[in-house]
Amino acid sequence: MTWDTIVTASPTFILGLPLLFAFLTTLVGRFSKRLGKLLFGVGLLLTTFFVGVMSYQVLTDGSWFYVFGAEQPSPENLLSFFRITFVADGFAVLATLTIAITALAAGIYSYSFMKGESGLNKFYTLFLLTLAGVNGMVLTGDLFNLFVWFEVTSVASCALVAFRNYKGKSVEAGLKYMVLSTVGGLFVLFSIGLLYGQYGVLNYALLREGITGTFIDKLALGILVVMFAMKSSSVPMQMWAPDAYGEAPGSVTPFIAITSMGSLFVLFRLLFGVFSVSISPAASGSILIILGVLSMIVGVTMALVQSDLKRLIAYLSVSQIGYMMMAVGVGLATLNTGEYESFGELAMQGGLFHMINDGVYKALLFLSAVAVVHATGIRSLNELGGVAHKMPYTTFFFLLGALSIAGIPPLSGFSSKLLIYKSVYLYSPILVIIALVVSIITLAIIGKAFFNAFLGPNQGLVKNHISKTMLLSMGILTAVLVLFTLFPNVVVTEIVSPAIEGLIGSFEGVLP
Amino acid sequence: MNWEMSRVVRTITDILIVPMIIFGIYLVLHGHLTPGGGFQGGAVIASSTALLIVSYGTLGKHKKDLSSIEAVGLTLFILIAFFGIGYTMFYNYLAGTGGIFGGTVPAGPNPGYINTGGTVTLMNLMVGIEVSAALSLILWMMSRESGIMEAKDKGSEGMEVKG
Amino acid sequence: MSWDAFFMTMPYLAVVILLSIGLYTVLFKKNLIKIIMGIAIMQNGANLFLVSLAYRDGYYAPIFTSAESTDMVMPTAHALTLTSIVIGLATTALMLSFTIMIKRHYGSINTEDVRRCKE
Repeated sequence: MTWDTIVTASPTFILGLPLLFAFLTTLVGRFSKRLGKLLFGVGLLLTTFFVGVMSYQVLTDGSWFYVFGAEQPSPENLLSFFRITFVADGFAVLATLTIAITALAAGIYSYSFMKGESGLNKFYTLFLLTLAGVNGMVLTGDLFNLFVWFEVTSVASCALVAFRNYKGKSVEAGLKYMVLSTVGGLFVLFSIGLLYGQYGVLNYALLREGITGTFIDKLALGILVVMFAMKSSSVPMQMWAPDAYGEAPGSVTPFIAITSMGSLFVLFRLLFGVFSVSISPAASGSILIILGVLSMIVGVTMALVQSDLKRLIAYLSVSQIGYMMMAVGVGLATLNTGEYESFGELAMQGGLFHMINDGVYKALLFLSAVAVVHATGIRSLNELGGVAHKMPYTTFFFLLGALSIAGIPPLSGFSSKLLIYKSVYLYSPILVIIALVVSIITLAIIGKAFFNAFLGPNQGLVKNHISKTMLLSMGILTAVLVLFTLFPNVVVTEIVSPAIEGLIGSFEGVLP
Repeated sequence: MNWEMSRVVRTITDILIVPMIIFGIYLVLHGHLTPGGGFQGGAVIASSTALLIVSYGTLGKHKKDLSSIEAVGLTLFILIAFFGIGYTMFYNYLAGTGGIFGGTVPAGPNPGYINTGGTVTLMNLMVGIEVSAALSLILWMMSRESGIMEAKDKGSEGMEVKG
Repeated sequence: MSWDAFFMTMPYLAVVILLSIGLYTVLFKKNLIKIIMGIAIMQNGANLFLVSLAYRDGYYAPIFTSAESTDMVMPTAHALTLTSIVIGLATTALMLSFTIMIKRHYGSINTEDVRRCKE
């Protein structure tokens, strides 16, 4: 076994190590709680390390397929495509990086935040299982496997949402999320059946060649779009998101948000990688744009009336999902036309850059808001006030996240939003006007939240201490955010552009 | 105070449990040859737990053991998959090597030889262990929480607000 | 349409009926247990769909002992169905556990009473 073998196998490590450590944590945690805790951290770090290994390999040497239990597929060896395939390309790198950053921050945050809860071993297990599920979802190369990881993510993340089962509301949010996810999963299975019944293959690469664009294909695509849009908390089905984000244990809230981002990654992969050849991309792109604009408007409107800090950020995150869907939708709608060259690609860059960006600053925002709730025991904005006197670091972190989500110039949220505005304006100016208005309202909302919670006279609300590990995890996110702020062009050329290549040109040249 | 059925039911349970578990083990071990496999066999074994719970109203103090057994099964499953990483993950490195589970599959229709599965047999075994333990645990927890078995008093609402 | 072709469509009819019943139950019933039952019915509908897709007249089950390999059906859809059944077990167990906890916290499993997240 050489280093090359391990590098080639890095996609399976990203998936297998969280699984292995999830079960090891339960097992070892029986005998020693400290060791279980340690294993959780080791598992997270190792997973992140292999994400780095895979990213480095993909970005330097190009993408590859990884087949379980058989040889690499090639034009001569197509039979391997009937096995479980993983795709390691630029898009998988973008997705796993986004997930890994948030997972690492949320994991470190959990260490001291969850202190005092019972059944922590199970918490670590669920956390790592969710991580494995999301990674599997974005890495997998066939529909069957996608369904399995979809369900693993659903079950594990719903159990995470309801982890504090001594609170009725947590369980209620978990059940709501679970019912929706299960129904969604069943319809995903149904549409997989529709596709399999026609073509007899499940692999993305083979399906891409095989799909002819019949009515049943369109039906299957419609079901898949609706279900994955639901899981990514896009608008017609956004109602589970605020409950789940609001009632999940604070430290995993950004992680639950990242599972919905994972669904969005999968949605894009399916639309571009599988269906864009045979089913008119213009039509599916328009649907994405409509969903995105609706999410932006509805998310921000609902956020206006929230007085609960966590629910407010949850609704803002719904509206941010809308930006990504709109931008990538513009890219999809112009795919294969001359417009793609002029502005479609720019829109894709903006959309995908916004995804990784949003993953980071949303996590920062959630974690700093949770720190406030943890320190004061109050979630209502009407009762909070003057926290900044006692929590200067958290205030700084929240301010950074708030300015990013509102797209204020020096920060990285602005860079990605600028790309979106510039390109979408050429597609349809009215969309940009809506996006700008939403952005301004976002600024107003998050500004109101910031003033209410942090500024004002010191009311002596801060009771609990914010531990160093919590600050460390927010610091990691801030460091990443600052990097994105300082070098947005590097991120776009080095990470986002390969991702677009992987998304659009994926599976080309593999088949004869 | 445990909830318990009559002596007739309990005796029949005692008798039936043995063939149930043996049938479950049969299903698990023949998973690579006949319909069945780890999950199905494990479910059959776990149904004997259901019988125990219904007739005796208790499982004794084996909850922690069940949880550990489940974790052991899962960990070994993943490890067996990882051992093939030199070639690819989930590679069947035992098949055709001779020795235990490594027999060569003869060509053409044949009655099926249990010695031929390679890692598939081992993985079926692990899944069987995992599923039987996990399902028993689920049944145990649910029947305790829903009052078939004596429920322990848990913490109620009214905890402090947390993020 | 011949009788044979008509009978071949019967499973799909059953699939549609099962999915509709399940969806109706999930959308319009107030009892949490009934909602979970509706999901289980939908699950069976989806499984039946996959199994009837994989059915080929005159071919054998892919067990290595009984027939020539050319006379066997491709078992991918069956594998999907088995996986779906396993996953269905996990999701049903989790949802039922949630329902038990909701009953303990709220004293009711009616969806009208179980709406406190927004307060």
